[in-house]
Amino acid sequence: MAVFAQTDGFKVSELDIRVEDQLMLADARIDYALSSTATEALENGVALVIVQRLRLQQARWWWRDAVVVSQQRRYRLQYHAISRRYVLTWLESGESRSYRSLDALLLRLGRIQAWPVMRVDRLDEGGDYRLRLDTSLEVDKLPRLLRMVAWINPDWQLRSEPIYRELSP
Amino acid sequence: MMQLPRQAIVRILLSVLLILSLYLLSAATENSVRFGRLYLWLLLINGVVLVALLGLIVNNLWRLVRSVRARETGSRLTLRLMALFVVLAVVPGLVVYGFSMQFLQRGVDSWFDVRVENALDDALALSQASLDQRMRDMQQRLQDAARDLADVTEEMAPITLGDLRARTGASELALLGENGRIIAASSVDTADILPHRPEESILLQLRQGRPYVGLDPIENAGLHVRALVPAPGPGGPGSNRVLQGLFQVSPRIDNLAAEVETAFSEYRELAYLRGPLKDSFSLTLSLVLLLSLLFAVWSAFYLARRLVAPVSRLAEGTRAMAAGEYGTQLAPGGNDELGYLVRSFNDMSRRVADVRDAARHSQELVESQRAYLETVLGRLSSGVLALAPDGSLRTYNQAASAILSVPLSEGIGRPLSALVSRYPDFGPFVDLVAGYRQSPEPEWRAELSLDTSEGRRALICSGATLPGEGERGGEVIVFDDVTTLIQAQRDAAWGEVARRLAHEIRNPLTPIQLSAERLQHKVGTRLGGDEAALLQRSTETIIHQVEAMKEMVQAFSEYARPPALRPQAVDLNALVREVVELYQGEPEQPAFRLDLDEDLPWLQADPGRLRQLLNNLLRNALEAGEAGHCRVVVATRQGSGRYADMIELDVQDNGPGFAESMLNQLFEPYVSTKPRGSGLGLAIVKKIVEEHNGMIGARNVDGGARISVRLPRVMPGDARQGNEQ
Repeated sequence: MAVFAQTDGFKVSELDIRVEDQLMLADARIDYALSSTATEALENGVALVIVQRLRLQQARWWWRDAVVVSQQRRYRLQYHAISRRYVLTWLESGESRSYRSLDALLLRLGRIQAWPVMRVDRLDEGGDYRLRLDTSLEVDKLPRLLRMVAWINPDWQLRSEPIYRELSP
Repeated sequence: MMQLPRQAIVRILLSVLLILSLYLLSAATENSVRFGRLYLWLLLINGVVLVALLGLIVNNLWRLVRSVRARETGSRLTLRLMALFVVLAVVPGLVVYGFSMQFLQRGVDSWFDVRVENALDDALALSQASLDQRMRDMQQRLQDAARDLADVTEEMAPITLGDLRARTGASELALLGENGRIIAASSVDTADILPHRPEESILLQLRQGRPYVGLDPIENAGLHVRALVPAPGPGGPGSNRVLQGLFQVSPRIDNLAAEVETAFSEYRELAYLRGPLKDSFSLTLSLVLLLSLLFAVWSAFYLARRLVAPVSRLAEGTRAMAAGEYGTQLAPGGNDELGYLVRSFNDMSRRVADVRDAARHSQELVESQRAYLETVLGRLSSGVLALAPDGSLRTYNQAASAILSVPLSEGIGRPLSALVSRYPDFGPFVDLVAGYRQSPEPEWRAELSLDTSEGRRALICSGATLPGEGERGGEVIVFDDVTTLIQAQRDAAWGEVARRLAHEIRNPLTPIQLSAERLQHKVGTRLGGDEAALLQRSTETIIHQVEAMKEMVQAFSEYARPPALRPQAVDLNALVREVVELYQGEPEQPAFRLDLDEDLPWLQADPGRLRQLLNNLLRNALEAGEAGHCRVVVATRQGSGRYADMIELDVQDNGPGFAESMLNQLFEPYVSTKPRGSGLGLAIVKKIVEEHNGMIGARNVDGGARISVRLPRVMPGDARQGNEQ
């Protein structure tokens, strides 16, 4: 059972890679802690959008890293007043689930299992690869009035530091 | 077409940029999809501009204060205009700002109404209450179904679940085992293969034996009721099985609930966003106002300076004009009244300069006229005096000074009588002029004989009243020295006489002498004693007298003879010493005092004639003096002033001086005050002086008489063409 450090902000605490049937899969755990400002906005009917970005990068000695794969998952968080539940919607698929508490929702959101990255046989032999994961709250998807404040107010600057995992050959 | 100054262009450009950035700012406030993160940048840019403007204003203010302290022209006016502009810009701006802020706050607040809020809350509560009723109902149904599953094994569960789902009207039924493991499931929607695993907290609640029921909003499927009840299996209550049912709310209720939810959510969101809305509007408004005001203030500086600049220039120009710098031209202003004022000033300045130039020109003209007149007057041989109305001397020419032998320069601006005390010889002339000034006649003529330091002079004076404002405008007196003219006439007459005498007298003299000699020769031998002696004495007397008469006639003929000069360089001092030497051997030696100028330059003259001149002068001096007590002073010197190119020679004796009555005819033949004088000595001296273009004068001095001779150092070429007769 993870103990959450109740500091505002997002933190990618784990990132693991496994291979199943020639498919590279990523498992990760992200600790989401919304600031009180964001929580208050959520409870007042403001929808929040959180994005998770996964990238496979190939190191090049002569230039910047090449981005081999770049994927992102975007989730919408809403409070449903009639049911008094928090709704999490995966925007790419339209799939949604509701939770009794925000913590439960965030816990679920922070658990990433078997995120398919790419087929292993597409990787170059002896290539220097690393996987990168980061997440952030999309300020641009806030209602415009809030956006003004969000750009200025650090309470809204919710983003994690990226975490890297080297691909073992 | 007026060309805009560079500063104005810069300002216009800046203001356009400012307006653009403010527009973008407000557009970003309105519609952030388009401007996105631009808003931050805009805020930043506007902030920078704000700081820059503040800096500019402070700098301008400091400069203005400094110029006011330094009392620069126009600085105080600039300050006043500045203050006026600032007040005009800031006060209305602030008023508008205040009202705008108030409207903003009130306007936003007026969208929210307590009653609406309450109504929405009530609607929500009502929806929840009505749904609660249904939820309990469905929970009841599910609990009934769970009882039916009490003896159903896990293997049989899928079949039973299908029936139960149909009976309960659930859209999905699932039997869950330990930890939410799915044992069996039945669903209306075959696409949903896997039912949701319930949350941990719900499972925990169920483990404690408490059922769960709640609403579950599902995306694109509407509102559902999710209920979970413990469903103990055949293994008894410890089996921890859970029956989960998902019931769809009837479409009508669903729609209504969705409406209420949407309205409530939107309202809540709006209410929540009220603060940020007001804040962002206020921020934009404040920024716009502050920037506009600062820009206005900054422009006020510029405008005030621009307005005052021509005035300052005018002030400077006026100061320059006052200091006498006429013709000052100011940089042209615009096409407004100030520009007109500057143009008028330039015109005025130009005209004043023209007038000054004209005045200067006319002054120069007057000066040149005066110089011309002075030259003319200076070259005039006649003396000219101009007297002011009060009788003081205004102008004179050199000839006047020379003729009167009085330095008239000392008497400028003073009455002529002021000079009489120092130059008593000048008295008769002053009296004459004064007499005629009293008379009402506008013109007069008179002759005057004047004793001057250079001898007696005959003057012909004429005077005229000058035109003036009112009574008399002063006098002009013109006088000519006619001494020479009169002398020349007399000389001519005497020359004629001399020639006649020589001609008429010399002829009978020789026969008289011869006759006397023959008488002596023929008769003397025949007579004896006393008669012979008588004859002897008589004939001798006749012969001697005839001899004397011959000499006299010879002298006359010499006097009348035309000169034949042989000029050469002569050292006058040497000549004086040589001639004086001749008199040293005389009986009853005279005492000579030579006062000779050792630096005396040589002069062009006929040495023979000069020797004759000196002889005559010295003899004249000796004859004047008493025998044995005779003292003669001979002085030479270089002339000064207008006689700078002449050499002066004075011969002074200690005799009784010339008789007053003789002074006028002193140099005429046969004029002599001496008992032994022939009367020709001084006449010859004067002739020699005239042959050399010189001047001669005689006057009485204390204890004797003095004759002054002036000879030019260089003989003019026509000197020898004298009175060729």
